Amino acid sequence: MFKKLFTTAAALGAFMTPLHAGDLSTMSWDEIVAQAKEEGNLTWYVWYLQDDFRRAISSFEDEYGISVKIPDGDNAGNSQKMLAEKDRETGDIDVFAWGYDSFETVELKSLFNSLDKLPKDDGRVSKLAGVDGGDHVLAFWGNQSGIAYDPAKVSEADLPQSIDDFATFWTDHPNKFGFNYEKGGSGPSFYQNVLRNVAGVDFSNGEVSDARIAAVQPGFDFFNKHAANYIITASNVDNINRVSDKELWMAPAWEDHLAGLQNRGEVRKEIKFYIPEMGMNGGGNGVAIPKNAPHPAAAMVFVNWLTSPETQTMFNRDFGTAPMNAAADDSAALVPNEQRAFRQSWGKQPFRSKVEEAFIDNVILER
Amino acid sequence: MSYARLNSLLIVMIVTVALIWLAIPFTMAILWSLVDPAEPWTADKLLPPVMSFYRWVDMWENSSLKYALISSYSLAPTAAILGLCLAMPTAFALGRFNFAGRELAKLLCLLPLVVPPFITAIFFSALLFQLGLNTWRFGAIVFAHSILFLPYAIRILTVSFENVRQDHIDAARDLGASPWARFRVAYLPALKPGISATLLIVFIQSIEEFAIAFIIGSPDIVTIPTLLYSALGQDFVRPNAAVLSLILVVPNVFLMLILERLMRSANPALSSGKG
Amino acid sequence: MTMRNWIQIFALLMPGLGLILVLIGSVVYIAIAQSFGYYALLGESAFSTEFWSEVFSRKIFSRAVRYSIYIGFWSAVLSVALAYPLAIWLRKPFPGSIGLGALLKAPLLVHGLVAAFLYINVISYNGLLNQTMQGIGIWAEPRRLQNDSNAFGVLLLQVWKNMPFALLVLTGSVQGISDDVLDAARDLGAGPWARFRKIIAPLTMSGMQAAMVIIFIGALADFTFQTTVGPTNRQSMAQLMVSFKSRGDWHSAAVVGVSLMIIALLGSALLALLTRTVMRGSPR
Repeated sequence: MFKKLFTTAAALGAFMTPLHAGDLSTMSWDEIVAQAKEEGNLTWYVWYLQDDFRRAISSFEDEYGISVKIPDGDNAGNSQKMLAEKDRETGDIDVFAWGYDSFETVELKSLFNSLDKLPKDDGRVSKLAGVDGGDHVLAFWGNQSGIAYDPAKVSEADLPQSIDDFATFWTDHPNKFGFNYEKGGSGPSFYQNVLRNVAGVDFSNGEVSDARIAAVQPGFDFFNKHAANYIITASNVDNINRVSDKELWMAPAWEDHLAGLQNRGEVRKEIKFYIPEMGMNGGGNGVAIPKNAPHPAAAMVFVNWLTSPETQTMFNRDFGTAPMNAAADDSAALVPNEQRAFRQSWGKQPFRSKVEEAFIDNVILER
Repeated sequence: MSYARLNSLLIVMIVTVALIWLAIPFTMAILWSLVDPAEPWTADKLLPPVMSFYRWVDMWENSSLKYALISSYSLAPTAAILGLCLAMPTAFALGRFNFAGRELAKLLCLLPLVVPPFITAIFFSALLFQLGLNTWRFGAIVFAHSILFLPYAIRILTVSFENVRQDHIDAARDLGASPWARFRVAYLPALKPGISATLLIVFIQSIEEFAIAFIIGSPDIVTIPTLLYSALGQDFVRPNAAVLSLILVVPNVFLMLILERLMRSANPALSSGKG
Repeated sequence: MTMRNWIQIFALLMPGLGLILVLIGSVVYIAIAQSFGYYALLGESAFSTEFWSEVFSRKIFSRAVRYSIYIGFWSAVLSVALAYPLAIWLRKPFPGSIGLGALLKAPLLVHGLVAAFLYINVISYNGLLNQTMQGIGIWAEPRRLQNDSNAFGVLLLQVWKNMPFALLVLTGSVQGISDDVLDAARDLGAGPWARFRKIIAPLTMSGMQAAMVIIFIGALADFTFQTTVGPTNRQSMAQLMVSFKSRGDWHSAAVVGVSLMIIALLGSALLALLTRTVMRGSPR
């Protein structure tokens, strides 16, 4: 037992050679679909809205006769499972959904199957939020961060648009605005865009140097100057809850998150959402097929369905997401289309992480 | 003031504190569970504006709650018993023998508690996968949980073994009792509270453990924390979380009352003779 | 001790401590190796001390260490201090004591996350507490109590959750004190304080140590309470670890994790020692 333990402990770090990679690469799409039907089922690990997705995928099940299982689980649990079983010969995950920027934290080609056998469709999105998913990841869920506000307190005409507007709002209404700096990306999207505007930082460049970090300082000074007039909250959901509870008037939020909470009767329906002119980030979730997927062909067919214009139109209609296929219809979005122009991309790594660390050191810890 | 008066005064005081300590959170949980999706409950309202059992019914009918209850309530007691069995010999050694390195051994027993959860979750599960334990998911989770919560079992039982009185053991031996009779007469009475405490703690820890049960069990075995983390995760749905935690509390309370009774039954034997 | 005794002890330790050392020991080994650059989940694995020096040079790390120790220490001390008198009081059964014991232990059965959200509800800006205080005219306007910077919220929740655990452990330990011994001491003229110091304190020390150490370790590594009700201007070690991990920086996360393990073990040893000194009991 000892010997086995130590050899396995040693093997845990090394990547195993893929087992299924060769099978599908020689097949035509029709053959893949045929094999998928033979496999008959697949398991999709998606970390949010599982109940709604179970309803949404029924048209796929009807069309192909392949049943889809969506296990419950949260983001951390799903990613830990994916990483823990990466060396198993056959895993449990067929299709894996993850925040698009999370895919950047792993090595795609050693973990996931190539998707180049999918029927050609230029409308699909594999570059999102500053991350290039290449042949391995496709976006299926687009979302947008912005500001949730209570229209009873702030009228549409008075909504802050520029950083100066925000500074004025903070001064006029102390402690009625709050944002999170972790546990969810809405707050980080807000402060990073403020930093970008104040200090003129170029987030599209991922290079790290002391000079580049030092150049962000005016942005930190801006936050420190107004420190007494805004609140630091605990998470994405804390932001929305505190606006709903009438404590805060405005707080950063995700469009789809707010819509979901309102649909469930969790927060007030009156709360509205906008994207300020200074810009806030858009992002999304992507899917990939692990190398040890037990039903690789069915997974492939499912990814094809998920990223199709029809499915993306449906998601836009039912969940208020930004469609992740150029041919999809996005008329049902929650934000007026002209505001979409203020959408920004997430900063490139590793620069973005360094700015986040510096923000914590220079602003959060100084409070 | 007489002892009895003082005692009843204390009871009243503690019950009052305990009620505030418990009644507020539990009442709030019950109220939250009754929030109807038609209108949210905001903090400025004393009671939810619209109340119904919608969440309870919905949760019971449309989620994996039933399977989760079955698997959690069969996993946890099994893990508790296995943990108890594994911990007994070590606790016996730590509690009854004075050997060099005993304090170090006690400290090392805490290892599973100090390893950061994400390291345990990923690498311990991967280790179990590599050992081939994943073919029997139920067994793998039971095994993992009993190892993970051994520190509680060992620590609590060590304290109990230390409480066994040498004169009782000696007396039993002098009277010619067999090893089993000696255990029953001298050890068991002192161990009983420790045994029930161990069972309770490992049971509760196992019921609450999420990461490993999820990584090894999913998608075949769903446990209650999996549902709880879905409800409390990104889309922290407060009413659903309240329903789930209340459903969890009910069987646990019964269990605790039973254990509490078992524990008391140990007492008379302890105060041997004088009663 | 004879050879035979040693073999006996070794055999007894095997199923408990032995399994822990083999299974969890190898996981600990991986954590340590990871903090030095091995077991990379992406990219190359190579030996490096850079993660240690990088993490140790950051202000947020030293703050997190101090903060986590603060939470761990006070959670343990307060929980045990509250549970101890209760355990002694509940030692002898009286009418209603079973129900009372169960009542006091009920928080064990509530998941920490749920407790945290209920607590936030009570103290939130327009919540129950603020409304009550304004209603009886003590506060003129609502106060912001959420995420207080002294972490009283975290400590309160820790005590709420851990006091019952301490009570459980201590109950077992005070019940081990036999009435004969106490009566004998009384017959010899020992007052209540002397009886406590000479008999109860030494005999319950081991249970006290166990409760202190286990609560300390749990609170030291707190993530749930810290991220929901904790102060927003500092991070706990577990929180820092998770934030490194979510950026894909597994090695730095492991550095924090290994530091956490070392502090937990050292702190436990110190706490056990401290408990013994305070109780002035002699080891059995």
